[in-house]
Amino acid sequence: MAKGNGDAERVEEVLGERLGRGIIAVGRPQPDTLLVTIEPGTVLAATQALLDDLGARFLVSVGTDRRPISGDFAVTHLFSLDQSHLYVVLECPVASENPEIDSITPLIPGAAWSEREIRDVVGVSTRGHPDPRRLLLPDDWPEGVYPLRRDFPYNERPPAAEGTRPAWVPTPEGASVVTLGPFFPVLEEPSNWRLFVEGETVVGCDYRGFYNHRGVEKLGDSVMTYNEIPYLAERICGICGFIHSTCYCQAVERAAGIEVPRRARYIRTMMLELERIHSHLLWLGIAGHILGFDTVLMQTWRIREPVMWLAEVITGNRKSYGMNTIGGVRRDVTEVTKARILEVLGPVEKESLAVRDAVVGDTTLHMRTKNVGILENAWARQVCVVGPPARGSGVRIDARIDHPYAAYDEVVPRLCAHDEGDIWARVLVRIEELLDSIRLVREAAAGLPDGPIVAEITEEIPSGRIGVSTVEAPRGEAVHYVLTGGDNRPWRWRVRAPTYPNLQAMPAMAAGGNIADIPITLGSLDPCFSCTERMETVDVRSRNVRVYSPAELLAMSRRSGRPGGGS
Amino acid sequence: MRTIVVVGLAVLNAAIALLLSPLLEGLMRKLKATIHSRIGPPVTQPYLDLLKLLGKEDLRTGRGFLYAAAPALTLGSVLVLATLVPMGAAPPLSFAGDIIVVLYVAAMSAVLVMLTGFGSASPYASVGSSREMMTLLTVEPVMAVALVVGAVKAGTLSTAGILAWQVEHGPSISMVIAGVAFLLALQAQAGKLPFDIPEADQEIMGGSLIEQSGPRLALFRWAMWAKQLVLAFLLVELFVPWPRVGILPFDLMLALVKVSLVLVVVALVDVVNPRLRIDQAMGYYLRVAFSSLAALAFAVIGM
Repeated sequence: MAKGNGDAERVEEVLGERLGRGIIAVGRPQPDTLLVTIEPGTVLAATQALLDDLGARFLVSVGTDRRPISGDFAVTHLFSLDQSHLYVVLECPVASENPEIDSITPLIPGAAWSEREIRDVVGVSTRGHPDPRRLLLPDDWPEGVYPLRRDFPYNERPPAAEGTRPAWVPTPEGASVVTLGPFFPVLEEPSNWRLFVEGETVVGCDYRGFYNHRGVEKLGDSVMTYNEIPYLAERICGICGFIHSTCYCQAVERAAGIEVPRRARYIRTMMLELERIHSHLLWLGIAGHILGFDTVLMQTWRIREPVMWLAEVITGNRKSYGMNTIGGVRRDVTEVTKARILEVLGPVEKESLAVRDAVVGDTTLHMRTKNVGILENAWARQVCVVGPPARGSGVRIDARIDHPYAAYDEVVPRLCAHDEGDIWARVLVRIEELLDSIRLVREAAAGLPDGPIVAEITEEIPSGRIGVSTVEAPRGEAVHYVLTGGDNRPWRWRVRAPTYPNLQAMPAMAAGGNIADIPITLGSLDPCFSCTERMETVDVRSRNVRVYSPAELLAMSRRSGRPGGGS
Repeated sequence: MRTIVVVGLAVLNAAIALLLSPLLEGLMRKLKATIHSRIGPPVTQPYLDLLKLLGKEDLRTGRGFLYAAAPALTLGSVLVLATLVPMGAAPPLSFAGDIIVVLYVAAMSAVLVMLTGFGSASPYASVGSSREMMTLLTVEPVMAVALVVGAVKAGTLSTAGILAWQVEHGPSISMVIAGVAFLLALQAQAGKLPFDIPEADQEIMGGSLIEQSGPRLALFRWAMWAKQLVLAFLLVELFVPWPRVGILPFDLMLALVKVSLVLVVVALVDVVNPRLRIDQAMGYYLRVAFSSLAALAFAVIGM
């Protein structure tokens, strides 16, 4: 674990100077986490100080309903001081009578969605937010019903409301609208982009997503227990599930002060890197497919398949491994499996190199990806983009290096960054990472220490503790925040997938481009909508006056296919 | 007697275009699958696709006679084109201004697809059709220049005349360059990568034909496959007609072998390339058109 040491004192000092008596309390839940509780009125000053004087990077905001404990709400802004390996947790208590707080979005554009989400789910509104539309509630969700409040039961289904659908951004003068989605062939998940185009040139766009809410966070703090949640967490994403379960486990382990055995850390590292290998190969294939280059798709997925089989050998499953548990992992890696890993990686590396050479030398690919979908370094920082899109724009961040977890303090990754900010840079970053991950798995396998694979946990996890954890997913940094509760489950569990900040950079990347470039521009973010959309109970209803029950829909789908067959 | 021969040849050409084109498309798919490390569909799959589509319900999103008749007209125009192209013998239908008619008839199917797209009330179809138009505007000149080179060499606008001249005089620099230009144009005419821009599944979901299904889609598909076969015939017969023995079955088989080779090249280019953007494709074809002017210059000085 990295030590926050001296820098934490500096943060305290700076905030003390800027806020004076605005600081209510300062705590150090972990050596690398600084918890600062401030008067809500000073949130803008505190944010400004963190940005200007300390170079902090915004991670995510969390809204918490603490009324049963302390009678108020809390809005918690999480920051990272990457150079100092330090998390700063800025906690603002918000009175329950008039839940409102100043928006930090004018200072940090990347906080826009977080703050809209807080309004949606706990009902704390933000003053001065430039775009206060609804973000993630279903179109027919009634106003004034906040699903993440503690008095809202997880299985409640509020009656459908009308006229609550958020408006689209008005179409600019002279532009016409081309929609991509909610279902579009190359985007495997629902996502609705409304492109404003003049001819074939895109002049702007608006986004509506969150069609896939599964109520994951609500289940976590109302139904499931600490040790059940890892299996739910890994179902957040079908590709990087292990990342989410690791990130959640680490957050709880950190909150509870559980020391994870070295061997378990190494095994986690191996699995995390194997996931990066198959995820990057998958992405390369999809990127090729988006550009109509199906040979790349077919070949990379063929190369990828043995990695999936390998995961099955190690964990029993090709995806959703069920490996992680609080305090370590559930299955050991035997000598036989270790040999198998090295055996599989050889051909994967050889063939990946061949793909790299083919892709890097393809001039037609250059034509489609160079100087296309450009994300400027300054804007990437402002929107707080993470992962390969950030590193492709010269933002040198990587959670494995900035906040070393698992065994990354001993198995050190290489930071792969390029400065061009175009799609080609993102391609190169991912190819370099793919090859580096193969090296990391080998090193982790070679250095696998002896010992137990899970910590023995004898005491109840105390309530009221916080744990912040970041994991570098293939798509970028995932953040999990846990506030422990009393009944063997978190009081609040917040998941921020990497696509959440990355999608917010899309309008800037799309503007000025060609319609033909939009799919690959979006694809170059490696978006994972299911990761982003982990919230909320959903009712399966149309937004029209007519309400269909699932049984009716099923009957309709069985009748359909003939004219006059559907009702 | 002569009428019977002409009718017989015309029927033969149309039958080749209709019946063999799905097979060649199937072979191209199989080749692509092999390079993808896939098993791929059986080579007869295109026939099965056509059968299945022809048996389906006819759904239309547009109105009007032209919209209703477009699929049949498209396939019909390609069959007319087939009768204007030599396939092992002189072209069954021949006029004084042959190659001009060929160019016009070849453009007809593309224009019909384009109009269908504009008429189908879908933004994707409109984008597809405008891309189709841009492709047509840049690819047609390349084909035109290549054919005109032949006309200059042979001193006639008749396809049969150019063919006869080629058989008699053997290869020349100008005709080789023109043939290469024609081959490059064929890639876009066949709607293959990197020039399948008007369809671009991943961008505009099939473009002009997005709203077409069932029998209408079958006829459009069939027309596309037949057109790539007919144009490949035109390419091999005008630019590489040797050896020529004058016996129809032999010459036809030889031409078929050459056509298959040409389509193999088209499929290979398709499989190793990503899709270009329309502006990039237009720039590419403009450069090809200008380079093929070199062939014209060679032809004028008799090389």
